[in-house]
Amino acid sequence: MENIYMPDPMEVVEVKQQTADIKLIRIKFRDPEKNANFKFNIGQFGLYSVFGVGESTFNICCSNSKDYIEFCFRKTGRVTERLWDVEPGDTIGFRGPFGNSYPMKEWEGKNLVFVAGGIAMPPIRCAILYALENRDKYGKITIVYGARTVNDLVCKDELDEWAQYPNVDVLKTVDVAPPEGTPWNGRVDFVPTVLKDSNITGDNAVALVVGPPIMIKLSLPILVEAGFKDEDIFTSLENRMKCGLGKCGRCNCGSVYVCKEGPVFTQADIKNMPNDY
Amino acid sequence: MSHIITLEQLKKTLADKISSGAQVVAPTLRGELAFFQKIDDVNQAVLEPRVRFQNSIKEFFFPRHETIFSFVRQGSDVQLVDAPEFDVEQIVVGARPCDAASLPILDPLFAWDYQDRFFQSRRAKSTVVVFACKTSDAHCFCTAVGGAPDSTNGADAILFALDDGSFEVRCVTDKGKALFSGKTQESDKTGAACAPPSVDFDVEKIATWIRGNFASPVWEEISYRCVGCGACAFVCPTCHCFDIVDEGSYSKGKRVKNWDSCQTVLFTLHASGHNPRATQGARQRQRMMHKFVIYPDKFNAKLCTGCGACSRSCGVSFGVRPALEELAKVANQSENN
Repeated sequence: MENIYMPDPMEVVEVKQQTADIKLIRIKFRDPEKNANFKFNIGQFGLYSVFGVGESTFNICCSNSKDYIEFCFRKTGRVTERLWDVEPGDTIGFRGPFGNSYPMKEWEGKNLVFVAGGIAMPPIRCAILYALENRDKYGKITIVYGARTVNDLVCKDELDEWAQYPNVDVLKTVDVAPPEGTPWNGRVDFVPTVLKDSNITGDNAVALVVGPPIMIKLSLPILVEAGFKDEDIFTSLENRMKCGLGKCGRCNCGSVYVCKEGPVFTQADIKNMPNDY
Repeated sequence: MSHIITLEQLKKTLADKISSGAQVVAPTLRGELAFFQKIDDVNQAVLEPRVRFQNSIKEFFFPRHETIFSFVRQGSDVQLVDAPEFDVEQIVVGARPCDAASLPILDPLFAWDYQDRFFQSRRAKSTVVVFACKTSDAHCFCTAVGGAPDSTNGADAILFALDDGSFEVRCVTDKGKALFSGKTQESDKTGAACAPPSVDFDVEKIATWIRGNFASPVWEEISYRCVGCGACAFVCPTCHCFDIVDEGSYSKGKRVKNWDSCQTVLFTLHASGHNPRATQGARQRQRMMHKFVIYPDKFNAKLCTGCGACSRSCGVSFGVRPALEELAKVANQSENN
């Protein structure tokens, strides 16, 4: 029988440092056949391992049209400390894809509102990249993204690239003003404030909101006021996971397993779940 | 007409299995404490019904520490070597009915979408023989969760100890029949289990209360009796939450599954420092919810066999039965209001 806990060896193809403590890593299956056949849906996650150190859970943050996988992490624990040091050519492990995904098909024809804070950009980036690759299938795209400081913004260069697409608004903001003389073409405000000023409307639109709990808490009323229904507000939850397969027993919120029934939930789903996240 | 096996014949049956290369797991004594362990000599086995064991037979299906794979780093590449599949016959004898009852409860969890071959291969290779209970103690509450002193859930055969040291054998499955075929004599003696333990709480009523009271202060209150050591999970036949960790060095080592417990702080601690279950009350709530709400929702079975091992092993006299008794009080109150 197959070993469901067995990762695949992956070659590190590229490492891009994003901030002082965040990196984005691009990997490919060492087995070319597996690499060619690998498929995932936007919003799914994987378990990435440094052999001898351990496994961690991250969203697959690239679009699914590529022949590689990208993920983003903050150097913050035992596994990520070691991931920080990997270089192109090194081997790491991957298991996945796991979990449900963003309903990109159902979103076709609608306006998309993406709201992210800090390290929560990667789980939204996959949806943004997919929507931009399929630009004609979606209506207006509004991206509201903020971080504590300019130096904490992830995918900083890409934000400006995305803004070049037709009918795409990228609203960047930072909590703390950069030191005088630092080039900054965004705002200095909290994400919910920028969202409020963005003139979005819930008519024929969906919102994907990922970020720190306080950002989500303050953004939700603004979306509701703009006419978004609970069924149209999506998020990607994270809870500590070990197996990703619905067995190890720690990522659940009540009877909902984030690894299997999530990580993508609507606000309507979340209202029916106990607050265990 | 019943079927009887003498103690000598039972020992011979097990001894023959050991000689044939099977792994035989039986109750053994270390001082006064009884453990299930793999035996090499049938005389190590203490073949009599007993209430208190220091471990569950769970560990012979879901080991406390199990290698998933090993790895060797070779330059920039890493070679992965899959763990060998369990493929010896295993006979587990002398389990309590409430201990064996955990096995069919755990089957769907390990087969839910993704097939866990580690549990499943051991299940497929094993024959489980239970001893019907002759006594119960104040920790027992199998009757509250659908069990009984002579329950055959998860058992391939049940043995009833008779006064003369022999056992009445009742085979439940083909595996049980195969084990005892030709080993028994027909007789008119029959065995009987002890009376079912008495309980004065209704688990269904408590489960209903739990569903509606996620935010109740009762969870914190009952958790004052818990020190969060996690011993209850380790002796529990149904607790199955596990950790996955790497052992060895950066260049050579293995990845293992280890038992874990929802009662520890680290269980759900995020890398960010956020912990969804930051208090012992939240963790007690998770434990009781998992057993009486979540698992029934997911797999249509309670994640508890009423064996009482948790409270028997608890250093501060807590455990599932004391928790249920506390919750029954508030459930009854809220029903009366």
